[in-house]
Amino acid sequence: MHIILVGVNHRSAPIELRERLAFRREQLPEAFDRLREEVGLSEAAILSTCNRVEIYAGVPEADGTVARLRRFLSERGGIEPAGLAERVYHYTEPQSVRHLFSVVSGLDSMVLGEGEIVHQVKHAYEWAKHCGATGKVFNVLFQRALNAAKAVRAQTGIGCGRTSIGTVAVALSEKIFGRLAGRTVLLIGIGKIGELTLKRLADRGVRDIRLMNRSPERAAEAAARYRATPLPLERLQEELLEADIVITSTGAPGHLLCRADIEQAMRKRHQRPLCLVDLGVPRNIEPSAGRLDNVYRFDVDDLQGVVEHGHRARQEAVDQSRLIIDHRVERFLSWWREDLERCEPSPSALAAAP
Amino acid sequence: MVTVHTLASLLSYAAFLAAFVCGILFLVQERQLKRKTMGVLFHQLPSLEALDRANFVTIGVGFALLSAGLLSGFIEVRLSFGRWWIADSKTCLAIAVWGLYLLLWGMRLRATLRGRRVALLSVLGFGLVLFTLLGASYLVPSLHPYV
Repeated sequence: MHIILVGVNHRSAPIELRERLAFRREQLPEAFDRLREEVGLSEAAILSTCNRVEIYAGVPEADGTVARLRRFLSERGGIEPAGLAERVYHYTEPQSVRHLFSVVSGLDSMVLGEGEIVHQVKHAYEWAKHCGATGKVFNVLFQRALNAAKAVRAQTGIGCGRTSIGTVAVALSEKIFGRLAGRTVLLIGIGKIGELTLKRLADRGVRDIRLMNRSPERAAEAAARYRATPLPLERLQEELLEADIVITSTGAPGHLLCRADIEQAMRKRHQRPLCLVDLGVPRNIEPSAGRLDNVYRFDVDDLQGVVEHGHRARQEAVDQSRLIIDHRVERFLSWWREDLERCEPSPSALAAAP
Repeated sequence: MVTVHTLASLLSYAAFLAAFVCGILFLVQERQLKRKTMGVLFHQLPSLEALDRANFVTIGVGFALLSAGLLSGFIEVRLSFGRWWIADSKTCLAIAVWGLYLLLWGMRLRATLRGRRVALLSVLGFGLVLFTLLGASYLVPSLHPYV
């Protein structure tokens, strides 16, 4: 048997192509049927995420399988085979096995070391198993790959550090307030990063979210998305007394909040700590406000600095991760070789049997 | 009475030591957040909120224990010498410590002072505690023969 991989990822193909090849969960049983009958696979698994579509194939004979899998993909996506040629990569073992181990460990991800891929691979395996597409070899292959990912994440810094502005803002807020559940967040201005940050905060249990925007319609619209309370900008001074975390992302020139405003608010708040996240460029909050006691101010550059620090740390963990993966791949391959020998006795062994 | 006095006083110093440690950690963490230098310690340290609360609680406990220590000391003096007060450097210093932490705790309770300043005062306050504990025995003459 051979383990062959054919697929596209975020580096090899643009999103327009990936989305045409992607598999939805309910399409999987039919896809596995076709792979078995038309391509002749004995075992299969399909990993389809927003960044990759990969078919892992177990076949008795490798001859022509890659070509058949390529044809399968091009028919499925309704794309001329020529259009796919350069975009689709394929590997046979041991590279195919190593690729799977690297993917599940986050080494092949767009954001190096991200952890979501572990769940995605796990689900891909479980669905394939559920459809009856996996056999002994793939069961072991995927379990070992998932275990390898666990080892890599535990033994290296590949998953450490924050890699987006939103998660950095959340981590810093947690360093100030501890648990974020029960805190009050005020978002002023609606922008992409601001909303992402809000989403991360909501993930951490923040329920009291208040929104302000120059256009009340947009505030109401965004408020509905996050179950937030839309408020008029005129209430800014009063809201400053209640919020724990204030995120600003307006395009307004000049400072929306001056040091004096915040100083006054801090007195009225009895010095309750206040975290200011200023995502605006030019900045919405007077920078010197960060020097006030119990006021913690971060702007885009501060957050970006932490993000880059996280990326560097992950990059440094790559070599160590590869060592672990190589070791694990080697162990899988030797198990597989032994298994093959057990199941397919050599002709001489057969001849020796009575 | 002697044991109550000694035990309560020493335990109160231990509580103030804990408050001192919380204060130091608070100042380190606060400085990192303010300067945006997330060093090695950054990820290990608890949140400012937790450190602030721990500081508040330990000062409260220390204050209660010191009060018990002082009171039992006065009773002891009264029983042995028939009067409440014998002027002694260590006693005076302990009363100063008691007053200082009362002030600190009260201000934190009434929320007029918070965060960095409380942490800083609890760190400085521990200096006075140390001086009371050691200095009063070695540097200035005292009726308290032990440390």
